[in-house]
Amino acid sequence: MSNPVSRREFMNLLGATFGTGTLIRVSSALGLLPAVAALTRPVLAAPAPGAGKVVVLGAGISGLTVAWELTKVGYDVTVLEASNRAGGRIMTVRSGDVVDEIGNRQVCEWDNEPHMYFNAGAARIPSTHRNLLSYCKELGVDLEVFINESKTALIQDDAMLDGKPLRNADVSTNVRGFLGELFAKSFTTAQLEQPFTESEAETILGLIRGFGSLNRDMKYTGSNRNGYASGGFIDHGVQKEIIEFKHLMKSRLIGNTLSANEGETGPILMQPVGGMDRITAGFTRALGERVKYQTPVLSVKVRADGVDVAYLQDGAPQTIAADYCFNCIPAHFMSGIENNLPAEYMQAMKYIRRGEAIKGAFQAKERFWEKEEIYGGISWTSAPIRQLWYPSHGIHKDKGVILAAYDFGNGMEYTRMTQAERVEWLLKGGEKLHPNYRQLVEKPITIAWHRMNHMLGCSARWGRSGGGMTPEEEALYHTLQAPALGRHYMIGDQISFHGAWQESAILSAHWALADMEQRVRSAA
Amino acid sequence: MKNSAVTVSSLVLGSLLAAPALAQSEGAEYYNDRYCMTCHGADGMGSEGISAPRLAGMEPWYLKRQLENFRAGVRGTHPMDLQGREMQPMAVPLTDASIAELLEWIGGWEYKPAEITLQADAAAGAPLYAACASCHGSAAEGNEALGAPALAGQNDWYLFTQLKNFKAGYRGTHAGDTYGAQMAPMAAALPDDTAILNVVSYINTLGR
Repeated sequence: MSNPVSRREFMNLLGATFGTGTLIRVSSALGLLPAVAALTRPVLAAPAPGAGKVVVLGAGISGLTVAWELTKVGYDVTVLEASNRAGGRIMTVRSGDVVDEIGNRQVCEWDNEPHMYFNAGAARIPSTHRNLLSYCKELGVDLEVFINESKTALIQDDAMLDGKPLRNADVSTNVRGFLGELFAKSFTTAQLEQPFTESEAETILGLIRGFGSLNRDMKYTGSNRNGYASGGFIDHGVQKEIIEFKHLMKSRLIGNTLSANEGETGPILMQPVGGMDRITAGFTRALGERVKYQTPVLSVKVRADGVDVAYLQDGAPQTIAADYCFNCIPAHFMSGIENNLPAEYMQAMKYIRRGEAIKGAFQAKERFWEKEEIYGGISWTSAPIRQLWYPSHGIHKDKGVILAAYDFGNGMEYTRMTQAERVEWLLKGGEKLHPNYRQLVEKPITIAWHRMNHMLGCSARWGRSGGGMTPEEEALYHTLQAPALGRHYMIGDQISFHGAWQESAILSAHWALADMEQRVRSAA
Repeated sequence: MKNSAVTVSSLVLGSLLAAPALAQSEGAEYYNDRYCMTCHGADGMGSEGISAPRLAGMEPWYLKRQLENFRAGVRGTHPMDLQGREMQPMAVPLTDASIAELLEWIGGWEYKPAEITLQADAAAGAPLYAACASCHGSAAEGNEALGAPALAGQNDWYLFTQLKNFKAGYRGTHAGDTYGAQMAPMAAALPDDTAILNVVSYINTLGR
């Protein structure tokens, strides 16, 4: 201990000893970390001899994170995965893949080309998700930019202008013009209530003018922000006509249009080259034989000094006696797996609702959107499909895969439809945005996460009140986050305040690892 | 024959088969996944998280009838029968042969009585159960001759939901549901949720 401890080592030790929350709080106090997300990987010590057996239930990204971190420091890790693939809701569909939806098995028949894929679950990586990005780097997962917003993509609402699709830019420019005028008018009053200096007032008026693209009289008379109706390169540009706010305000999609580049989708977004499951593949490549597929868990019995897990392999029951267990099985399955987990633990699990979400995709016979000046981005519609995503990759190839629906709230209705009904639903929605859609797309795939084998749900729904977790719900959450008997950890994005993001799952895994490390050290 | 093609029977019959050699490698085809257990739990013990009842120990004749009813849309098509509507598409692709194979598979599962999760006034439920006993038996052991399944040992939350569904007309009102039509008026005779809870609590006291 004669070597001085560096600040970084000190921080890591704190993190490992007291949990990552401590690390973040103390770091901010010392002013080491500016306002960026923390890298939360705990520093782990090698296990004591004979005490390093770990079983991970589920090969979702939280389970893989735990498995990888523990493997690196010498733990003997086994990952049991019920299905034939790792990743859970990190799932990329390509030619020949089976979509293992219960009651609606599909086989993907798209062209077998590297760009012909569709991320059926996780699809976007914000640049602020540093832990996930650090694993991408470590595991050699190449990334490319994901185009989330394209101003040439469309906004369509049956309630607005007879359902005619508008360009995103035409909507946002005209809405901002209207709002700018409104700000300018109300500024005089604001000035009276809270006086500004003359130069401050000028600055503010300048901002308002810039926000709304207003003229010198603070009036919105149209703009070239949304491009020209014609010309503009070697002859004069002809300004587009104004779309009056009274028409635009009929659509509830205006908010989505204005906030597309804010919040979680504000930072630059990325995707792995070739599909989101490249991340999973990076982990499983590193873990090798430690991941066992088609090994559904039968029972989980926690002891004071370990966890016994029974599972099926090749149709025969097997058991593992582990020192620690990390469990990312969707909580709603645990009531169907024999266990001795504490009653309050099971009560918390039963409280969580299964998330409902559906995505759909088609092979497009041609990249028709590119002919409409759309390259990547998302079109919004009031039709139940909600969104069309144009691929950010494969630009100017012959074909592409278009994401044909993403309903993230009311998926249940569509999960009950037959595949033929769902396809008709996809086509009807797409036609609202692109009149010839039906002729331009083929070979549908639908993914109803509510019915996917071994998932039966999208991200866990903790809150039932609609406004985040209540204090009671938060208490249940903390019950489930804490390890049962200090040996069994529930992990995954289900154990986070921010479901459906890979970063949440990784942070949950890091939290559990740091907690385990603390217990191991204090027992030593 | 069972590994030669992806048939429904091979999909659901995994445990009877030797797993294909590819089972351990990612990307293997799905010949032997257990769809029943995904929802109904390990060895069909029932799963409250999915609202899927215990199948282990259920009478083969009753399972057969329900699978056939689901397949024909006699059960699980009422818009308000949320759990039934989740199950219904599962049964649609089944053939008579695959139902028979399924029953054999389920018959091999270890039966464990379901955990008791509901506790109300069992004493008040006892007289209400008298009407049930005439078909389902005084120990809720079921009666094949009358087409009445055993209730003892079943998940109490499932019994509660089904009694409510019968009472509300979400189950047992389809023209093809002969036995359900007999059950529906019996459930309707239970005045309210409290009565239903009480009778389920009483069933919980019977042989498990």
